[in-house]
Amino acid sequence: MSKVLRINMEDLSHKWQNVKPAHKTYAGRAFTSTILSEEVDPTCHPLREQNKIVISPGLLAGTLAPSSGRLSVGAKSPLTGGIKEANAGGLTGTRLGNLGVRGIIIEGAPKNSKDWYSILVGKDKCEILKTNQYAGIGLYDLIGKVWKDHPTKPGIIGCGVAGQRLLENAGVFGNNIENSDPGRYAGRGGLGAVFGSKRIVAVISDGKGGSRPEAKDQEKFDEARKTFVKSLNAHAVTGKLKDDKGEPYGGLKNYGTNILLNILSEAGGLPTRGFRSGRFDKAAKISGEAVHDLVDKTKAKFGDKAEGKYAHACHPGCVMACSNIVPYEETGKQHVSPLEYETAWSLGANLGIGILHDVAELNRLCNDIGLDTIEAGNTIAMFMEAGIIPFGDGPKAIALLKKAYDEDSVEGRLVSSGAQTAGKTLGVTRIPSVKGQALPAYDPRPIKGIGVTYATSTMGADHTAGYTIAAEILGIKGKVTDPRDLKKAELSQAFQATTAYIDSTGYCLFIAFCILDDDDGFNAMKTTVDSFLGEDIDVTSYGKDVLKKEREFNKKAGFTEADDRLPEFFKTEPLPPHNVVFDVPDEELDAVFKGF
Amino acid sequence: MTVTTDSIEIHLYGCLRKLVKGSRPDEDTTMTLEYVENETFIELIERLGLKRSDIGDCFLNGTLAKPKDIVPKGARVGIFPFNMVLLCGGQHLKGHGYTRDDVDVDYYQ
Repeated sequence: MSKVLRINMEDLSHKWQNVKPAHKTYAGRAFTSTILSEEVDPTCHPLREQNKIVISPGLLAGTLAPSSGRLSVGAKSPLTGGIKEANAGGLTGTRLGNLGVRGIIIEGAPKNSKDWYSILVGKDKCEILKTNQYAGIGLYDLIGKVWKDHPTKPGIIGCGVAGQRLLENAGVFGNNIENSDPGRYAGRGGLGAVFGSKRIVAVISDGKGGSRPEAKDQEKFDEARKTFVKSLNAHAVTGKLKDDKGEPYGGLKNYGTNILLNILSEAGGLPTRGFRSGRFDKAAKISGEAVHDLVDKTKAKFGDKAEGKYAHACHPGCVMACSNIVPYEETGKQHVSPLEYETAWSLGANLGIGILHDVAELNRLCNDIGLDTIEAGNTIAMFMEAGIIPFGDGPKAIALLKKAYDEDSVEGRLVSSGAQTAGKTLGVTRIPSVKGQALPAYDPRPIKGIGVTYATSTMGADHTAGYTIAAEILGIKGKVTDPRDLKKAELSQAFQATTAYIDSTGYCLFIAFCILDDDDGFNAMKTTVDSFLGEDIDVTSYGKDVLKKEREFNKKAGFTEADDRLPEFFKTEPLPPHNVVFDVPDEELDAVFKGF
Repeated sequence: MTVTTDSIEIHLYGCLRKLVKGSRPDEDTTMTLEYVENETFIELIERLGLKRSDIGDCFLNGTLAKPKDIVPKGARVGIFPFNMVLLCGGQHLKGHGYTRDDVDVDYYQ
């Protein structure tokens, strides 16, 4: 029986509650957004006691369904001022699923406290621990200390020094399976700062004594999950590492999400040097292929001592394994994990930096300080736009980011505060953000559908909210798919609704690559969810219901259609090589959520 | 490399880089080919000694390349292998038939 843990940080108390009957099908994003919409005043200050943090493993987390261990974290966002859900892999989703925890709701804040706390969740237990020793340190150190203090290999999420200082680009870190890196981030929207506002450094999930959640129809569930695994393994994107001849096969396992860097550059949609070009002449140097090559070289040189990896799982039971461990070329030891496409873009192509080591180092620093990499790259770009450091200068970007460790450094605080705050402070007029959140790695001028998602998403500019990229460039059922076609409202809405459903199941969004191709895979995926719950869930209705709650929250928070717009420069500055602007009419943007 | 309007510039990725001797995964792998009037994309692929099943998503001047597309003078042609595609579903709906041969219908026309 799933339970909800409610924690009050004002009096450091907690209580266990049953899942409300009306919430019985909600988990992950559906749970976090429902609780926020029911319990949080949308006009509250996101960094004061009225805001709440809601943590929820996806519906199937902890089960044997493949790639289903994602964790959602929600709160009113300090970065956007609206509702926020960010999700990630790591260990915590699986641990909470095994413990039977549907959600953790953290409310209130200690009054005038200078102490820092951690929440230890175990089988039918919760302790709120005073852990000042975990505050003010890098997150690589922190996760090491936590596993030393709690030797049951717990999941850990929380905030780094950026969140502890209430800075708006603070992400929620998570430890990886090996506990070698805090890089499993529910990164977007500044939710790490909400943890800091409640004086919480870490939530530690000890899975000891836990068990696999049982499906209502276990036989049907097991059959469906096995079919789904077969479907995922057979697909050229999500499939096996090597073919029968030993040659690279599955795109994600070999090259990770960063397979996209070369492809988007070739397609002319890779935002480069502050969204000035759609192609990066050094894309190959920081691509997934380059990481694959570096891993192979260091394995050949250092043998068993080499720590680099591809086909690395981001959470227990992930069969797609798109994560990686980037090694130092000189030693073969781990530099950072993972280096994702969005990060290679934001800290690489977006800054004009084409040296893999420098990009990996910027990524490692973000992971250690507790920053979202997409926002961090866009923020450093503001310093480059302002002429404070030059585009393409990796060492200067690294030096700037290192200032974030120093509590007394104004530049350090600014580089941790997001692109909009930094851009405005530095007199930049080309700030690539929507609702205060910076754009990810697809330029909305040649790929207009993703521009519609950026503009209209409840989350601010977010590619995952409605990933139309492939559908636009390549094709989708019944749709005209030229990326320059303007009718994108229906496409974006359909993707946003389906995404909200997937974000609630615990499944990684990347299963979409397979289920859109393979009807058997789609049906098996849906059957796992339905047989787990014991009822037939309509994918689109479920997703739309989540979106409606999020839109309503944002409306009450003061958002209007005028906030569903891209920055002006996307409409006026043509992007080479296609030399197009974002010209989707406002009426088309407003049509996405007409009737919601 | 000099590309004139009478030639085309090929960019190769993944396992197709081996078509250029000494290529590296962390550097651009390019070759220049002679321009052939009215050559289709699939004829160009055959000229390279490749089959449809060898290739994934490919681009002609940044736009998805279809088999019957004419390769223009001075074109930049990006060729990815079968296992390098935009992270997506809908392979059988792309209409190009490179990665799947069960093309239902070409919605991209």
